[in-house]
Amino acid sequence: MSADNKNTQNDIILEVKNMTKSYDGHVVLNNINTTIRKGEVISIIGPSGCGKSTFLRSLNLLETPTDGQVLFHGTDLTDPTVNINHIREKIGMVFQHFNLFPNMTIKDNLMLAPMKVAQMPKEEASALADSLLKRVGLSDKADTYPNMLSGGQKQRVAIARALAMNPEVMLFDEPTSALDPEMVGEVLSIMKELAQSGMTMIVVTHEMGFAREVSSRCMFFADTIIKEENTPAEIFDNPQTDRLKDFLSKVL
Amino acid sequence: MQRMNSRRKSILSAMHIAILAMFLLVSSFALTACGSKTAKNTVFSVDDIPGKTIGVQLGTTGDIYVSDYEEDGSNTKVERFNKGADAVQALKQGKIDAVIIDSQPAQAFVDANNDLTILEEEFVEEDYAMCISKSNSALKNRINEALEYLKAQGTLEAIINNYIGENAGKTPYVSPANVTRNNGTLTVATNAYFSPYEYYEGGSIVGIDMDMCQAIADYLGMDLHIEDMEFDSVITAVQSGKADIGASGMTVTEERLKNIDFTNTYTTASQVIIVRDDNASASGANIGEKFKSDFLTANRYQYILKGLGNTLLITVCAALLGIIIGFIIAVIRSNHDMTGHLKIANFLCNIYLTVIRGTPTMVQLLIIYYIIFGSVNINKIIVAILAFGINSGAYVAEIVRSGIMSIDIGQSEAARSLGLTYRQTMVNVIFPQAVKNVLPALTNEFIVLLKETSISGYIGLTDLTRGGDIIRSITYDAMLPLLGVALIYLVIVMILSTFVKKLERRLRSNERR
Ligand SMILES: Nc1ncnc2c1ncn2[C@@H]1O[C@H](COP(=O)(O)OP(=O)(O)OP(=O)(O)O)[C@@H](O)[C@H]1O
Ligand SMILES: [Mg+2]
Repeated sequence: MSADNKNTQNDIILEVKNMTKSYDGHVVLNNINTTIRKGEVISIIGPSGCGKSTFLRSLNLLETPTDGQVLFHGTDLTDPTVNINHIREKIGMVFQHFNLFPNMTIKDNLMLAPMKVAQMPKEEASALADSLLKRVGLSDKADTYPNMLSGGQKQRVAIARALAMNPEVMLFDEPTSALDPEMVGEVLSIMKELAQSGMTMIVVTHEMGFAREVSSRCMFFADTIIKEENTPAEIFDNPQTDRLKDFLSKVL
Repeated sequence: MQRMNSRRKSILSAMHIAILAMFLLVSSFALTACGSKTAKNTVFSVDDIPGKTIGVQLGTTGDIYVSDYEEDGSNTKVERFNKGADAVQALKQGKIDAVIIDSQPAQAFVDANNDLTILEEEFVEEDYAMCISKSNSALKNRINEALEYLKAQGTLEAIINNYIGENAGKTPYVSPANVTRNNGTLTVATNAYFSPYEYYEGGSIVGIDMDMCQAIADYLGMDLHIEDMEFDSVITAVQSGKADIGASGMTVTEERLKNIDFTNTYTTASQVIIVRDDNASASGANIGEKFKSDFLTANRYQYILKGLGNTLLITVCAALLGIIIGFIIAVIRSNHDMTGHLKIANFLCNIYLTVIRGTPTMVQLLIIYYIIFGSVNINKIIVAILAFGINSGAYVAEIVRSGIMSIDIGQSEAARSLGLTYRQTMVNVIFPQAVKNVLPALTNEFIVLLKETSISGYIGLTDLTRGGDIIRSITYDAMLPLLGVALIYLVIVMILSTFVKKLERRLRSNERR
């Protein structure tokens, strides 16, 4: 029992406790509690404006919760004495609009954080960048600038850039929403490979196919709370609340 | 091929400069030619002055006396110039009807311009004395003692005769050989545009007042240090302790006595009236001779070179200071805008920006020199660098801030999500993009800064503009020194903009959005 307990404790990467977020008194998230374990792939769905991004961005403190705690391996990120930069190294993030650095080549985009943050020697960072670019199939673009790439290629670079810091968990905020339809597939397949390799992932998405197929757990956000949380099969085939039924009828 | 192209471009821009310069010269010739058809003289005696437009040098006794006419309802207009030479130029061009000025410089002006003449009737007689702070009666007594000694010995008369009259040049003042200078430095404020009392010759300031001050310093066992500045700054400088005495052909007046004390008088002079001489043909010196006397005779181009050096030094250092101040302020302000932190620092920055951008640069320069460093003996170049740097910093700050704010917030979010610190994010991600966006605006600011340093003359600094002014005051030719100075500014500005255009092109080729 105690050994079991210890094991589960070690498995926990992120823990959200009683988290509330409001803007000028307007409550966006109300008393959220959840735990994210190693190897989980979590999809977050819900209507527009229900606070999915806010929740995700609270996990690496790009948004500061109004109340409650976010624990990363037991360390409370909302504690002002915690060095948030060290924690962010271990939490990769991919944005809807890629946010590549236009003033650097693709390779420099990948090498910046390893060199500046992890103090990696240049040769090592360069080798790392090469192998990551190979992994996302963009070795030939190493020395070009972001503006030369298609949307799908940019997002693959952005994933590689986040992976360069060897994170323990990856956050994705609608990674395919800004893409032309024909490019969605290439990004999703990279994400699928990543999930299969055992990466812990939290993905806000409108791609219901991906949520159902790839994720191990699905959260439905509505009315400032996690309205429903279950395996994708249960969420999609056996919705409990009217809110979710209504939502699914619109998006499926 | 690429190389050929850029070569051709630089030849092109050199041609642009040459064409512009020629245009400038030609148009000013045209203007001078028009100037020769100026109105006939209308002032023949003191009685003709009411109702006319009279030029004076700002703050001189001529100014004070003529100002009485201004208020008596006769519709007399007084135009106040910073330099006698400017008033004379205006007279030549028919912009004013007469110039009232001290007789000795008047003689020099008329000698140099054969279309001008001095009216026989003197405007007013007056006594010259040195001004000294009211709180310094000990020094005043010692100077008076020295002055009376020099008068008794005939030294003062010899000095004056060395500059005025038939025997000019025959009795130059030479310091006694055995002077010990244990009593410190006597700092004298003057305005060296007032031949024969004080003027530039061979790079140093000479004249009756200067020789007399040397003799006084010799008698008192002091070193002599001369500070050249605008005439209306001389009294301020003495009041604020920047100088011990002012010796600048200065007349004792009631108005001045309110602010400052005077030594015994050392000579009498008179204010006279210069008018246009309708009988004379316009001055004949051709452009080649003028060029020779403006720039080549006695190596006068050295004034321009020295001024140019100072202008460049001040501009470059002030620009660097401005960039440092500007970036710090921009970071504080944009950090506050984005996060709401740093409230107090942001408040202080706002005060700085409001004050600096809400007051003229020249006023700031004068305040820094006369008030903030009023009682500190500090190098004027440093004062100018500080003043222009602090001034420029305010403009740089707002330019850089707009650049920072123009960068998508996603850029700093992406950098922060990778674990970069705020500083690393700024240095590696935000600044490079922001600076590129605002490079044109920044260049513009530095071009403005370069041109604004031309007011450095107000604290007596020989910058490029004042270098030209010094030549103007020696040769009484306004055109070539002014055009030369303008041309040099123009060339520097064009080099600067060409350089930045190249830089911009290079940055752009790296990255197209
Ligand atoms: N900085 C902010 N200031 C004020 N209100 C905000 C701010 N950011 C988000 N909100 C509000 O919080 C709510 C949740 O926003 P959020 O971006 O988390 O929604 P979302 O579920 O990600 O929506 P979408 O599907 O459109 O991305 C919205 O009503 C939004 O208007
Ligand atoms: Mg969102």
